[in-house]
Amino acid sequence: MIQASNISHFYGSEQVLFDLSFEIKSGEFLFLSGESGSGKSTLLSILSTLLKPSMGELLIDTEAVDKIKNIDYFRQSKIGFVFQFHYLINYLSVYENIALAAMDNKKENINRILDELGILELSSRYPNEISGGQRQRVAVARALVNEPKIIFADEPTGSLDSKNSTIVYGLLAEAVKNGTTVVVASHDMQIQNYATKIIRLKDGQIL
Amino acid sequence: MISLKALSKNPFKSLLIFSSITIAVMAIFLISSVSQGIIGMFSKMIKTDGDIIITQKGISDTFFSNVNIALMDKIDKLEHVTTSYAMIVGASPIGHIPIAGIYGTSANHFSHYKLSSGKYPNEGEVILGENLAKQFTTKNINIGNKNFEISGTYSSEIGFEEGGVVMNMGDAGNLFNRSASFILVSSDSPNEIDEIVKKISNLNSEIEVKTTQNFVKEYNQFKIIENSSFVISTLAFAMGLMGIASVMSMIVNSRKEEFGIMRALGKSRFFIIKNLFFETLIMSFSAYLFALFLSFGILALLPHIEMLQGYVNGTLSLTSAIYVLASTLFMALLGSLFPAWIASKTDPILLINQGCA
Ligand SMILES: Nc1ncnc2c1ncn2[C@@H]1O[C@H](COP(=O)(O)OP(=O)(O)O)[C@@H](O)[C@H]1O
Ligand SMILES: [Mg+2]
Repeated sequence: MIQASNISHFYGSEQVLFDLSFEIKSGEFLFLSGESGSGKSTLLSILSTLLKPSMGELLIDTEAVDKIKNIDYFRQSKIGFVFQFHYLINYLSVYENIALAAMDNKKENINRILDELGILELSSRYPNEISGGQRQRVAVARALVNEPKIIFADEPTGSLDSKNSTIVYGLLAEAVKNGTTVVVASHDMQIQNYATKIIRLKDGQIL
Repeated sequence: MISLKALSKNPFKSLLIFSSITIAVMAIFLISSVSQGIIGMFSKMIKTDGDIIITQKGISDTFFSNVNIALMDKIDKLEHVTTSYAMIVGASPIGHIPIAGIYGTSANHFSHYKLSSGKYPNEGEVILGENLAKQFTTKNINIGNKNFEISGTYSSEIGFEEGGVVMNMGDAGNLFNRSASFILVSSDSPNEIDEIVKKISNLNSEIEVKTTQNFVKEYNQFKIIENSSFVISTLAFAMGLMGIASVMSMIVNSRKEEFGIMRALGKSRFFIIKNLFFETLIMSFSAYLFALFLSFGILALLPHIEMLQGYVNGTLSLTSAIYVLASTLFMALLGSLFPAWIASKTDPILLINQGCA
């Protein structure tokens, strides 16, 4: 599903990723682990096309990322994101936030997914009118709406208590069961219980 | 519509942009239209009652000009001249008012000032403009250390005049120590005016004779007002526009995170720019209309503010309104779309993180 070859990354002159090569297979639940500052977020951003690597090549679903013509369509149709701080748009309601991300032919999924995630009754609320755990569930719903092939999550439970964390992990595991590839970067070792593969980073290198 | 949502869900930011645009636009309107108004009033005063104006040679300001009133006898005998009258314009403290306009005029011109009460003045008497009259309840009035009796009040369309007094030439001549500030001549034949100008010029070597049209065009005081108001309003305009552009770019910068998220969700650059375009357009256009509305309101009020005694007046021309609209929209769009365009080229994750910081 994802083939990373010789990925290196620099912020200015500081190198933070060192020549990383690995493969992520379709249907895997990959746990990118490592201490804070080890390069997890940087690597995840590169894998998810949100950051161009300084060096190296990346294939997603057999397409070379730097050669993709319509990256917007590629992101919308194939990739879902969950960030640490939900990153919902504050002036749109729960429903509208998801509708903003949804492709035209996936809009009918919105209510079903909200229902499955137990937040259907929050549809018309705004992000500042719901709890942190609920916001993160909305963010997961947004990542699921287009039925993407891959979901990337960066510290998805970083701002949640353990009860809500378990709910979010459960939702991601559910997606894996349905055939989605999931990549989660986190320093929370609880994910080990759900992951099918672990990559450990230390100072920008794979251990 | 997503632009409207963005505007209404962030009322504080929207209000900030709205009021900064409103204030900038109003400043531009008021400064330029007030100075235009002053010029308009004064030229109206000169143009309405004469085709030709005679002033002292080499004296560019009517306040300092001194023309011999005896010329009028000769002028009246010229062909195609219907009437001529002399005026002295000056300014002096009147009673407790620190400064007000004084119009000395030959008796045949009194009718220019519409009596609203009393009668036209004899020697030693004055009539007061209605605005000025509100300030005095006495029968007598002190002007430049001389005492005058008030014989009546008058009204005038010209704001200047309503704040002043009208008296006979002789009294004004004593007050300002001259024969006349200028002589105005009317003719019954527009085609002969250039010819009359020549003839009058030949009567005396110490005078300058011009059509009132040309006089108004070349009058130094107007040029000074026009030039300085041009400079001030251009500066106000430039500052206002820069303010608009910088507020817009501040707002855009504060929304980098949002743009990053949209890019991550697969929204195109075009989508982001398009929405911002409409947001900016709605905002700056409505602020412009509001400013226009307020400016009209203020300009309409100006002549009625007693403190100003009708001296300040304003007109707003369509051309300048359109010009201001175009530049307002242009700067607002430039200020928002340029940084948004730059931002949209940045890697989405960097936008998201910058937005956080
Ligand atoms: N935008 C950035 N600019 C400069 N340095 C950065 C930036 N983002 C991360 N870094 C640096 O890169 C290294 C890896 O950071 P990151 O990928 O966020 O690690 P992790 O997610 O594992 O905590 C750290 O040393 C961090 O300071
Ligand atoms: Mg991180």
